[in-house]
Amino acid sequence: MRRVIVLIMLYLLMQAVLPLGEGTPAALVLMAFGFLILGAYSVGELATTIRLPKIVGYLVAGLAVGPAALNFVSTPVMEQLAPVSELAIALIAFLAGAELHLDEVRKRGVLLVKMMTAELSVSFLGIVVVLVSLHRFLPFLNGAPMSEVLGFSILFASVAVVHSPAVTMALLSESGAKGVVARTTLGVVLLADVAVVLSFSGALALARVLAPPPGGEGIGFVTVLWEIGGAVLVGAALGAIVALYLRFIRRELFIFAILVAFFGAEIAGLMHVETLLTLLVAGFVAENAGGGEGEHLRHAMERAGAPIFVVFFALAGAKIKPDAVLQLWPLVIPIVVVRAAGIWAGTRLGAWWAKAEPEAAKYTWMGLISQAGVAIGLSSVVATVYPERGEEMRTLFLAMIAINETVGPILFRIALLRSGEATPQSFRGGGH
Amino acid sequence: MSASLVLILVVATAYLATHLLYEWLARRLLIVSGAEYLVLGVLLGPQVSGVISREAADSFGPIIVLGIGWIGLTVGMQFYLPRLVRITGLTFRLAVIESFVTLSVVTGVLWWALPALGLTSKFWAIVPALALGAIAVASTPSGLDIALRDRKRREPVVNQLETSLGVNAFVAVVTAGLLFSWVHRAPTSALRPPTPTEWAVITVGVGVLGGTLFHLFLGEERKVDRLVVSLGGAIILASGAAAYLNVSPVLATLVVGIVLVNTSRGRAELRTVLAEAERPFYYVLLLLAGLSWRPSTSVTVIAVVALYLVTRTVSKVYTTRATTAWNKATPQLGRDWGKALIGQGRLTVALALDYARRPELPIGDVVFTAALLSVLLTEFAAARLVRAALLPIVEPLRDLAHRLPWVDTAEHTAEHPAETAIPSSESGATSGVFVPQVNEGASTLFGPDVDGPLAALPEQGSTEERTPGASR
Repeated sequence: MRRVIVLIMLYLLMQAVLPLGEGTPAALVLMAFGFLILGAYSVGELATTIRLPKIVGYLVAGLAVGPAALNFVSTPVMEQLAPVSELAIALIAFLAGAELHLDEVRKRGVLLVKMMTAELSVSFLGIVVVLVSLHRFLPFLNGAPMSEVLGFSILFASVAVVHSPAVTMALLSESGAKGVVARTTLGVVLLADVAVVLSFSGALALARVLAPPPGGEGIGFVTVLWEIGGAVLVGAALGAIVALYLRFIRRELFIFAILVAFFGAEIAGLMHVETLLTLLVAGFVAENAGGGEGEHLRHAMERAGAPIFVVFFALAGAKIKPDAVLQLWPLVIPIVVVRAAGIWAGTRLGAWWAKAEPEAAKYTWMGLISQAGVAIGLSSVVATVYPERGEEMRTLFLAMIAINETVGPILFRIALLRSGEATPQSFRGGGH
Repeated sequence: MSASLVLILVVATAYLATHLLYEWLARRLLIVSGAEYLVLGVLLGPQVSGVISREAADSFGPIIVLGIGWIGLTVGMQFYLPRLVRITGLTFRLAVIESFVTLSVVTGVLWWALPALGLTSKFWAIVPALALGAIAVASTPSGLDIALRDRKRREPVVNQLETSLGVNAFVAVVTAGLLFSWVHRAPTSALRPPTPTEWAVITVGVGVLGGTLFHLFLGEERKVDRLVVSLGGAIILASGAAAYLNVSPVLATLVVGIVLVNTSRGRAELRTVLAEAERPFYYVLLLLAGLSWRPSTSVTVIAVVALYLVTRTVSKVYTTRATTAWNKATPQLGRDWGKALIGQGRLTVALALDYARRPELPIGDVVFTAALLSVLLTEFAAARLVRAALLPIVEPLRDLAHRLPWVDTAEHTAEHPAETAIPSSESGATSGVFVPQVNEGASTLFGPDVDGPLAALPEQGSTEERTPGASR
């Protein structure tokens, strides 16, 4: 009831303030930011009462206040809030990297690589096959020669196999789960992220050869190599600085956590290296070389990042276009189903190959369905390279992401509950 | 290199350097750190090196509004009613008289001087004059915090200073808030433009709503993580809404702070969260103030600044001296406690930024320059001024404790526990003769539980209301 009152008050506040104000765009952005924090968080808490993950609540809140519905958070405001999403992705990547302990990588590294390889390969192949089969119905492939169909199908599949480290991290933080399913899912998601960045760069290069973009130039091998290798180098350097800070200064971690994420994202952009990978590596190095102080930084980062994560997911929800989902659902449903089936089959195959624990074999696939920020980001890159076809592809992506973004967290919650690694109570009392 | 990256690098480097030096500077030399960020901002900004362009500086607008709001909240968090009602009438009287006399004197002098110097018309001069009057009332608590770091705050003069600092902040913020309501530009979209009174009510309403939302949002929960989310949301929403409505974000968040401190059970945790980010926030605000500052070497501007500084200093020192003597409290408070109110700091910067960011108000640059120069000239010496004001009076008071049983000192309490009872509810003021405030650190406005921002953190492990395992 308390949450409902908060939402009613927020609604009335926005209704009263918006017509009266003529302040600067900066003030409007700030107000929308505060509104999203309180509003989305309240809807997230309401979601837990009907046994849904908080993230689903944040997404629904974003959808409700975004341009598709109430328009309290308009498209220009969302554009102004883009740095919040970048900061959230940086925080999530750093936290994800910090979750990887060297001991665990040594113990379970091979198992995770095998599961990830099988899962990505099977789902990738499945999506390519379904796209090639449906190419006559897809607006961006209709009437294209087979080489282009193949090139775009591979490009599409390289983005479609992406998971969501943000959703995974948020649910693990919310539930406090630390068991085999939780750690295997996180490990596969993180490794897959690195692999997807590599494979996407390769797929884009192949697509440029098979279907040259209008006026575009190919990207060289050296560029791809620098994006990946440079990210590892920059991330390692950043991680080492953080580790030194943790060893010798250890103060003001709350502010330091935000600065690290912000600085990491900025420096990655400046040096044209992969942001996610940079922060992932930085988190990993800081955690494992920080002399046991990494845990304090992680807690500070989780605390400082909590409002940012809420807004990040709410903004992701606000970007969902229900009309696009409705228009494209006959095409989206087969792709979503094939992707899910590919993840299920690939994970089972990988678990058998790696001799993984029975719980990991049974439940890990449910944690790999979610998609969010990374997928949106990669689809935007495609839209930039191929302005016309890429835009049509992005609409299809957004429709697909909307479904996976909503269903994924629910499935992962079920997986954690069924495997006994979390309880309904732990979800209600969770962090975000 | 992007402006954001430059800002991060500069803030991080300067913060770390200052942080390492801060303790040493504060302890050994009684110097308050902060003004160097202002200078750094000027050096990096478009006026000097141009490392950060005007457009880039303007893009930090939301951070400025948030910083202003944050400072308003920390001011509001000091007004915990159960503690306020224990302060004696005389203590309040001295503080209120000093605040209003400073406000009136500075406003009056500048109202006359600004048109005389040709800076603005007679009609409009009241606006910047009143703004400078409000800014002049504000004093920084940093000096007191540093000067008395290791002492128990039970002497009457310390109690008086803490009360005066709180009242000064309140008067300054409310005056500025009312001024911004009074000169509010009418929105074109509204059917009927709200009156100044309605704008003032709207400002307070935004604050009350922000505080109520926080209270409803959090309920009885006191987990630090949830506090961060809800506190962040409440400050950002209230500051953003106030800035969007073009009313005062400082006044709105001051009200949020008052609501929070008086309704939340997690006051200790709230102060912990606020204190964690406060000093860095202030430094960022100083840096951004430096970036947007357009210092002027014009003789008229220098004359205004000099007039502001002299009028303010004279008013603070002589008003306190006169009112203290009039109330026969000089033996307990000394003649010069007003000197301890000369230092200006974060609230001054916040109020000046709030004025200067409104292009519709006259001579924003002049008001901004006067305020920032005052901070530059007085903040670093704030602790020394406090010490200079207190030294003559604090030591004699220690001797007084052995003769007057109601003057509570730690030593006396330990030696004579039975003698330290509160004489009466009117103990603070009897027949117009000042009697030192008695018993409990809680007798002060900013006592151990509701302390000023820099000293806001409770002793480690001693927070009276901490929930076991509240923070992860």
